[in-house]
Amino acid sequence: MIVSAYYRCSSACTGLTMALIAAACNVAPARAEGMLDTVQVHGFLSQALIVTDENNFFGPSSHDGGSLQYTEIGANLSFRPRQDVLIAIQGISRRAGADDSDFEPDLDYGLVDYQLFSSVDRTLGIQLGRVKNPFGFYNQTRDVAFTRPSILLPQSIYFDRTRSVGLAGDGISIYEQERLPNGTLYFQAGIGKPQVNDDAEKALSTTEPTLDGQISIISQIRYEHDGGRIIAALSAGRAQSRYEVDSKDSDSGTFVFQPWILSLQYNEDLWSLTAEYALRKRSLSGLNNAQHNYDITGESWYLQYTRRFQRDWQWLLRYDVLVNDRNDRSGRKLAATGAAPAYSQFAKDLTTGVQWRIHPQVLLAAEYHHVDGTGWLTIGDNEGETDQYWNMLLFQASLRF
Amino acid sequence: MVMGQGLTRLILAIALLVACPLASSATDVPIVLIANPNVPIDSLTRETIRAIFAMRQRTLPDGQAVHVFVLPDESRVHARFAKEYLGVYPHQLRLSWDRVVFSGTGQAPNHVDSQAEMVERVATTPGGIGYIEQGYLDDRVRLLPLQ
Repeated sequence: MIVSAYYRCSSACTGLTMALIAAACNVAPARAEGMLDTVQVHGFLSQALIVTDENNFFGPSSHDGGSLQYTEIGANLSFRPRQDVLIAIQGISRRAGADDSDFEPDLDYGLVDYQLFSSVDRTLGIQLGRVKNPFGFYNQTRDVAFTRPSILLPQSIYFDRTRSVGLAGDGISIYEQERLPNGTLYFQAGIGKPQVNDDAEKALSTTEPTLDGQISIISQIRYEHDGGRIIAALSAGRAQSRYEVDSKDSDSGTFVFQPWILSLQYNEDLWSLTAEYALRKRSLSGLNNAQHNYDITGESWYLQYTRRFQRDWQWLLRYDVLVNDRNDRSGRKLAATGAAPAYSQFAKDLTTGVQWRIHPQVLLAAEYHHVDGTGWLTIGDNEGETDQYWNMLLFQASLRF
Repeated sequence: MVMGQGLTRLILAIALLVACPLASSATDVPIVLIANPNVPIDSLTRETIRAIFAMRQRTLPDGQAVHVFVLPDESRVHARFAKEYLGVYPHQLRLSWDRVVFSGTGQAPNHVDSQAEMVERVATTPGGIGYIEQGYLDDRVRLLPLQ
């Protein structure tokens, strides 16, 4: 799978990563044995069953007992050829309803991490290759069920419908850790080519324009106090793509996505409280057909409480709100044009769920969503009429090694 | 008389309150941080130990690669080490490891099944670092005090 993931990686990215890996692996034979000691292989697999009363999410979930079309499989390899170098690569194969990925293996990340400087109170490093974007609390490991508090991440911020836009970038990233007397400050900034796939093309317009990722910058500053009892982070990014309409009225422009996320978490032994707030600015400019240009800002936030029982159980309660356009919170303005129903412009999701770790490597989870609005409903799964109010029940089994 | 009895009870209660934490700490053997003898540092700060055991720092302050050894998540010694040395809970450590392992930013620690194995592996791995109850300490490993 990793091999085929490499194959999928753009040629420039493959070439760069391969060259870096080759250079980093060019070590004296005496070191080779030590390097082999550091080789690690890990992986994960998860399968969900999704049942909805109205609307479809990740497959035909409202028909015939639900949808099994939510599967995540991944494996990674990492090693340290030198004390200051880490090489890590992960392949992922995923299916999520009608999106086009359909188990096609993909390179999730593939990078060389070189620590330029490391002392008692400071570490400075650089990453080259395909790097996951540090976007909010969960983006970097969003496809690994064990790192999520629930089966679905809060969709207002970690939307699956256009997931590719903020997922990872092919380029360079620098990071710094500053250890303070009772806390650590983390800083990361990266620049590269964003991964923009079909999901975004479908979501942006019914004309299904072609998007070509041009440049993305992302940065995050995070402070963890007292061993992570209190965590605060601010993430900011900008992903730019060329936007081409290939239909009879061919046209082109520039699509820019600029998210800001403020993240806060408080952890106790038996419970955690998490909140994130995001502003998502999206603009399309430069089209000759000027009435299709736009510049809108969406707003997302959620508040989440998790409670642990008996070490193996966790219960979650969350309220998650998405507003597609801050200047049209109810969606009425858009509905007046006849383009889409008002409720497609927001989503208010009340979620409760449980996770049971029956074994350190096995996780079972179940959760219930009551949703008002279809703001993050996956598009390909719902060709016809949709309903404003809908309920969703999910079950998931996950393994990791 | 009644007053006297009340006073005696109060004194007894206070004595118990004071004595109880002492009694429980007396049964808990202290946990110590250990390192391979080739590790040329005398002590570590709490934030550095946190970064090392959260698998966010891959080298020791002298520049050599660090090899972290941990007991199973459900081990009482592991839970005590996490709480007393790092000020975190085992579930936070586990999440921290999963996040570095599955984002390509780090590696998982090496797992050992017992404290005897912990001493053995730390003693034979250059850059090795781990923790044990004091009773398991022997001269093949060095003690690393908290700064």
